[in-house]
Amino acid sequence: MKRILLITFMLFSCMIIYAQNTISGTILDGESGEGLPGVTIQIKGTTSGASTDFNGSFSLSASADDILVISYVGYVTQEITVGNRTTFDITLQSDSELLEEVVVVGYGTQDKKEITSAVVSLDEESFNIGNINNPSQLLQGKVAGLSVYQKGSDPNSSPTIRLRGISTVGSNTEPLVVIDGVIGASLDNVDPNDIASINVLKDGSAAAIYGSRGSSGVILVTTKQGKRGGAGISATYDSYVAAATVARNQPVMTRSEYIDAGGNDLGSNTDWQDEVTRTGISHVHNIAISGGSENTTYRFSTNFRDIDGILDKSGFDQINARAAIDHYALNDRLNIKFNISLTERESNFSFNEALRYAVLYNPTAPIRLDNGEFFQAILFDNFNPVAILEQNQNLGKRKNLNFNAQFRYDILDYLSVTANYAKQYVNNFNGEFYPESSFFRGLNRGGLARRFTSDTEFTLFESFLTYDKSFDNANLTVTGGYSFQEDTYEDLYVEAGDFPSDIVGFNILETSGDLVTGSASGLKIASNQSPEERIIAFFGRLNATIDKGIYFNASIRREGSTKLGKDNQWGTFPAFGAGIDISQYVITGPFNALKLRAGYGVTGSLPRDAGLSQDLYKYSADGGGTVSFDRAGNEDLKWEEKAETNLGLDFSAGKINGSIDVYNRDINDFILEREVETSEFGTNRRVENAGKLNTQGIEVALNYTSVNTGDFSWTPGIVLSSYKTTLDEFEIDESTRGNLGAPGQNGTNIIRVAVGEEIGQIWGPRFAGVNDDGTPTFADLNGDGVITTDQGSAILPEGDFEQLGSGIPDIELGWTNQMTYKKWDLNMFFRAAFGHSLVNTYRAFYEPIDPGAINSYNRIKSDEQLPDLEVAQFSSLYVEKANFFRLDNVTLGYSFDMSNSSAFSRIRLYFNVQNAFTITGYQGIDPDPVLQDLGTIDNGGVVNDIDEDGRPDNRPDVLAPGIDRRYNYFTARTFTFGVNIGF
Amino acid sequence: MKMRNLSNLLLGSILIFSLGCTDLEEDIQGDFTEDFDPDNSGVGQSDNVNGSVPADGINAAFSPLLQSSANHNNYFSIQEVSTDEVVITQKGGDWFDGGIWLRMHRHEWTSTHPAFNNAWNNSYEGITEANRLIDAITDVAALAQLRTVRAYYYWRLMDLFGGVKIVTESEDDPDQASRTEVFNFIEAELKAAIPDLGTGRPDYGRVSQGGAYALLTRLYLNAEVYTGTAKWQEAIDAADEVINSGMYSLSPSYADVFAPDNVDNAEHIWVVPFDEATGAGMNLAQMTLHYPSQLTYDLAEQPWNGYSTLEEFYNSYADGDSRKANNFLVGPQTDLNENPILDVAFDPADEDGAPVNYTPAINELEPSGSRQAGARLGKFSFKIGQQNEMDNDYPLFRYGGVLLDKAEAVARRDGNWASSESLMLVNQLRSRASASTLTTIDEDVFLAERGRELFIESLRRNDLIRFGKWGAKWWEKSAHSNANLNLMPIPQEQIDAANGTLNQNPGY
Repeated sequence: MKRILLITFMLFSCMIIYAQNTISGTILDGESGEGLPGVTIQIKGTTSGASTDFNGSFSLSASADDILVISYVGYVTQEITVGNRTTFDITLQSDSELLEEVVVVGYGTQDKKEITSAVVSLDEESFNIGNINNPSQLLQGKVAGLSVYQKGSDPNSSPTIRLRGISTVGSNTEPLVVIDGVIGASLDNVDPNDIASINVLKDGSAAAIYGSRGSSGVILVTTKQGKRGGAGISATYDSYVAAATVARNQPVMTRSEYIDAGGNDLGSNTDWQDEVTRTGISHVHNIAISGGSENTTYRFSTNFRDIDGILDKSGFDQINARAAIDHYALNDRLNIKFNISLTERESNFSFNEALRYAVLYNPTAPIRLDNGEFFQAILFDNFNPVAILEQNQNLGKRKNLNFNAQFRYDILDYLSVTANYAKQYVNNFNGEFYPESSFFRGLNRGGLARRFTSDTEFTLFESFLTYDKSFDNANLTVTGGYSFQEDTYEDLYVEAGDFPSDIVGFNILETSGDLVTGSASGLKIASNQSPEERIIAFFGRLNATIDKGIYFNASIRREGSTKLGKDNQWGTFPAFGAGIDISQYVITGPFNALKLRAGYGVTGSLPRDAGLSQDLYKYSADGGGTVSFDRAGNEDLKWEEKAETNLGLDFSAGKINGSIDVYNRDINDFILEREVETSEFGTNRRVENAGKLNTQGIEVALNYTSVNTGDFSWTPGIVLSSYKTTLDEFEIDESTRGNLGAPGQNGTNIIRVAVGEEIGQIWGPRFAGVNDDGTPTFADLNGDGVITTDQGSAILPEGDFEQLGSGIPDIELGWTNQMTYKKWDLNMFFRAAFGHSLVNTYRAFYEPIDPGAINSYNRIKSDEQLPDLEVAQFSSLYVEKANFFRLDNVTLGYSFDMSNSSAFSRIRLYFNVQNAFTITGYQGIDPDPVLQDLGTIDNGGVVNDIDEDGRPDNRPDVLAPGIDRRYNYFTARTFTFGVNIGF
Repeated sequence: MKMRNLSNLLLGSILIFSLGCTDLEEDIQGDFTEDFDPDNSGVGQSDNVNGSVPADGINAAFSPLLQSSANHNNYFSIQEVSTDEVVITQKGGDWFDGGIWLRMHRHEWTSTHPAFNNAWNNSYEGITEANRLIDAITDVAALAQLRTVRAYYYWRLMDLFGGVKIVTESEDDPDQASRTEVFNFIEAELKAAIPDLGTGRPDYGRVSQGGAYALLTRLYLNAEVYTGTAKWQEAIDAADEVINSGMYSLSPSYADVFAPDNVDNAEHIWVVPFDEATGAGMNLAQMTLHYPSQLTYDLAEQPWNGYSTLEEFYNSYADGDSRKANNFLVGPQTDLNENPILDVAFDPADEDGAPVNYTPAINELEPSGSRQAGARLGKFSFKIGQQNEMDNDYPLFRYGGVLLDKAEAVARRDGNWASSESLMLVNQLRSRASASTLTTIDEDVFLAERGRELFIESLRRNDLIRFGKWGAKWWEKSAHSNANLNLMPIPQEQIDAANGTLNQNPGY
């Protein structure tokens, strides 16, 4: 803050020192020679200036040392020193190229016209609006080929992000995030309010420069910065209040329906789903100040978020602060940037299980007994959901700190060196407590407490040289550099029980009786530290513009990782791209711009875990201390390689512009943990380079620039994408995965994977009817006269199984509409997906009315419910088409006219609805596609792993899409009222 | 100028840093990357509630037995659910699991049943540990134990799957052997190991000569099934080595042999040393008890209401046979205060209503087996306040079993089920159980007697095959005469992973 004051003081002192004279003049158009109205003439480094009148004339006060900055949209900006002159006649030259966007690409920027790969840029105006807590939600539906799906509206979980479908099987499936040049930065530590623009690098030739971490695509985030040459200090205040409501409950039997179906009447009438959900009220406030002198710019911002989810108790409080300072020296030859960002989030994770139990709990059961205690009964996997939320705690704190410093120095006019150093720290501290009185967990355990903390540190150092020179008929940019990335991770977990009182909580672990009895099956302590996971790379890139319309890019990256086998640590990843602006050479009919692009790039992918190339041993206290073989290392483990070819066409014709991209992607040697022969390796699973996937797709973006009738304007835009992924090679020709799970449907794999066929086949018997005994009958699909639907025959010739749907949509669509009428603005964004199906697991388990178990669970109601069907057995009955068309985001805003004397530069009010309505035939809670499967943790299943935040993290299986599991949080409809104020 | 110097310095350091660091050594901190000897030999032992496994450095080869001998979806489940003594009924939506347990019981299994792969993996994990330790250890007695336990794992594989790969070196991938070759390997290994094994009672969880001979007895008793050549006399001789060693005797109480505190019971020859703290793996309480029985035994986790006994098998015990009371849990169930425990989700068709009452009669196998039906497996009795893992040691071999093995071998050698030698051995066990003394016996009675005595000791499948009753009809399982079913299919996962080097058994 002192620094800002100092800068401000210096700014003002400059203005005071020099004597002022009045100067005047005319600004003329270079082509027509006529006066230009509305041109800005500003004294450099100050806020003072003037505009030309209708004839192009101006006058203002200035001193001899002042520099006039003359700027006008579409013309080349000029700077002129005042000196002794008092009158000026200045001619401005138009420059259409000034309108060209500059696009941030890996280790530099490029003019948009030079781009030869599939890159999409979005600025603030294009972002989604509303109660947005994760930056990826800004992009949902906006970029063709980028799928952002969040099943349910859990404020504490992040959406799944996929670029062009599956880009890898066993490694980092999410795109690389680069924030202000810091690769691998976390989206958790940037507030959506602070983002100026986001670029998405879609294809291999663009992402290759980032190497392995870019193989699932790259999302480049640029945060807001102060402006140079300044308009002085500006401040903004943005705030909204949002109300999240349950968009759709799971339809279940009412009290009377349940009793009619044979359920035991426990005497009450409880709408459990209503009892555990609420209208979640959230507040968000963002304050930012920014400004800049000639040589220094800065921006400081603070964001407060108090977010309440629709599940009772779920939500978080967050404070985020960000500071960016940018300084130029030595006549702009030296540039130094600092960015610091800090986030602290206190979460109440609540218990998503309560939502599932609220669907399933007996509607005649009371919440509490007459004596005030919760009604609790021993049922298999079913607990009073209100009791779960009220009795137990599930809290967490997370702190993120990022810092980066970047130096750029121009050694020569055409040669610069850049160095970038960044650190990122993430710390989590979570606690859970379950008292003895809780049947859910803690019962007969004397209470149960868990504590988890983790610490993650990421270091980045990169340096590169950039050579940029123009020749007669060509422009050449060459970049070469070095990159060093290092991740380390540590954690500690403690679980203890047998506490003296239910009021203990998780902060008095020393009172645990487990410490006295020493019962090893009760007390659990675990700690872990990862090896230093390094990626070291050397890279180079060449961009050439030849003539005025031919563009060529090539890059190469040599990259090494600690995670691979000793002899296979290094990989070389090349990329090429070429583009031609056809309209520069031939008459292109109705097209005023037509650019053809082609690119090819190879990127590498790394496994998620470290230590896979080495044999591991484990120690257990079993029988007095036992060392045993834990995992067979694969010393031959090598880079998974993704080779992608992209062909693109950018065009504009009159008011229509757009682009079409088609691509072909081969993922070779994909890394997957798979079954191996136990007799040979001593363990049955090993991580291997296991097969090959192919994805082909097409993406179309179309924009119509403004239907403009006086006060009204309408700018629609559409993005469409479609892809198919095929398993080209795999050790196993045909297999099934995606276990449906308990109750009663363990060992029921419902997704088929076969070599030479598409990924995402939902697989099972075709429902045919109901037998007299209430069991389902199935179709004799192979016509052999015998109906064989046991799991063991699922892929055998005698089995009567077929594909029941595809988990992956055929077409995904986003449709934006920006409308303005006078001071009103209306933005409607529709999102749709077609061709995918979902397995409605709630129905698959709980729809048939089984007289023997009617009292174990309430029943799901749907249009397909069959009164006589008593046995839940997976079939086509539970696979539903999930096509949908949704008004995803609608915003109505009003900007007030500001008088010149107002203290405010801008006031805008807006009202927004997220998830306003959905048209779908799907009967579950949310028809959004499910792109990966987390397995059976939805019901009594085992959580194999925890993620770095200490959250349950079963390794997602990307080969088993399409299963709508029961652990999903409910989906919200959110109403937001917000204000944007500029000072 | 100063700034210029600074920049040059910066540039220089960038170049140095860039060229300096290309180190990609992966230094693992959170796991052990190599085998090691625990320096603290007492570590982990003090909490062993009942008895201590010796800190002899070879436990890794024995501990996989904990993961397969008395839990769900592994060796135990295959050996029991496929027989006439144990069943997992489908209880409406519960326990259908794709029909895999119904098919296991009805002999309609396929190679993708997960229990097959789990049992296969478990045995080869034990074999891998034994191979690794055999390479590393020089102590002769320890080596002999490792060869014996390895032979036991191969016996499980050969018994279930027939011909398998005989791996004796780490990361070796030999050709698949025939069932007879595996049989011969086991026999040779045991014979080679016996001279170096201890002659007394084994250390806790370990094997001495008695265990090796008991395994040989079992091998020979089933030799006709395994190789086509009967070896009755060899079985008798091996059994006599156990009986005459004087190290083992019948426990006066049948219940004590299986109780939570059954450590070093006189009858134990070789046990899996389950322990709630340092020997996790026995989950029978979870597997068999109904959910509300959590309150009867003060269990920390809810049971699963899966396994029970067939009514016919329950009724094969005469009243007064103490084994009947010991082996099953029947009748109304109460909590710690003797109040009835309630199942608020009871079947409307259940005349007992909410109070839990385990009835030996079961209405049907599927689809709507009653939630409270079926006598529960109470042989390995439950203690109050049981943690998730039980304490009862599980005998792989016990004296009573060897007596029955010998009795059968004698009867078969002599072709006379009523031989007095045989009858005497059977009656020893019956009189301990307060059951009437038999004056004569035939093949069916002998099989039934083995069933009563050896209930849930993972032997029923072998017995039914050996007695030719594997294809017989019982309850809701129909008769078949498919001899291919005597062998289980090699797990599909292994066939897939083996790239053509493993051949599936005929008929699958």
